[in-house]
Amino acid sequence: MPIPLLICDDSAMARKQVRKSLPTHWDVDVTFAENGAQGIQAIREGKGEMVFLDLTMPELDGYGVLQKVKEEGHKAVIIVISADIQPEARERVVKLGALDFIKKPIDSQKLEEVLKKYGLL
Amino acid sequence: MTEILSLTEDQRDCLQEIVNVAMGQAGDSLARFLEVFVHLSVPRIRLVGSSELPEALTQLVGGAESICAVRQGFYSISSGKGMRGEALVIFGDKSFKELAELLAYEDDLNEHTEKELLLDVTNVLTSACLNRIGEQIETELAYSSPSILGFRMPPQEAVSPEKLIWSQALLVEIHYTLEKGSFSCNLMLLMPEEVIEILKKALDHLLESFE
Repeated sequence: MPIPLLICDDSAMARKQVRKSLPTHWDVDVTFAENGAQGIQAIREGKGEMVFLDLTMPELDGYGVLQKVKEEGHKAVIIVISADIQPEARERVVKLGALDFIKKPIDSQKLEEVLKKYGLL
Repeated sequence: MTEILSLTEDQRDCLQEIVNVAMGQAGDSLARFLEVFVHLSVPRIRLVGSSELPEALTQLVGGAESICAVRQGFYSISSGKGMRGEALVIFGDKSFKELAELLAYEDDLNEHTEKELLLDVTNVLTSACLNRIGEQIETELAYSSPSILGFRMPPQEAVSPEKLIWSQALLVEIHYTLEKGSFSCNLMLLMPEEVIEILKKALDHLLESFE
């Protein structure tokens, strides 16, 4: 069974960048969301067991998504992929339940390292 | 009137994401400089001809009567890329006061320290932003030292077209919200037409690599 993977970012290029960086033989079923509101909806629909989440987005930002996932008790593994490189941003998202944080722009090597680190690959 | 070069939706999205990454870098530099956590917002970008800049600027500063503007030139040091232009950072008077308060400058704020503050913040923002833009389009940039273009004057006077060398402006609206209040400024990258064309080619190249 492929893993339902959600890529949530307001930039079309960033979404493509993440998709392009996915490990080649990773069995995933990819869904895209263009903002946090679409993102949380997709998670509710079971399309995001694994989520790559941007932070700065219109409608609902990444912090808001993490908050809602926590409140609603969804079992999503969330990795934040953001341009916000302040150390405190990382601390904040991890506190809100994110598994890890990857700096933008993402590349396949970085992504693979993180996925391997948590035994997700 | 200067002809406005346009970006396709893909190019705009691509450039916005590049600027987003760059502003994340600048936000981090600013956070370290101010010792506060900075909330980032999505930067808005658009291209305008420099003749329309005063009007666009008046809108951007929300009718502020007085602004400060700082200029900083940039150019690529790697051969053959030809990136060059000028960055302008525009501060509304209100933001400027907030910034001074954050830096605990309020007790000894005079024209000299105010200008120093503007130059420092400009340097932090433009170098972080432009370095990241340069990196993502694979060109290394160098900078001239920043200088004050307009100090506490109406927007139309601070950025009058005759003061500007380049014909095209890439307007980047930046808004940083800090834990104690907010601070916004606008960053403009002024470039000649041929550099915008170089930039567009670089964007297309980058976009192709993700197809």
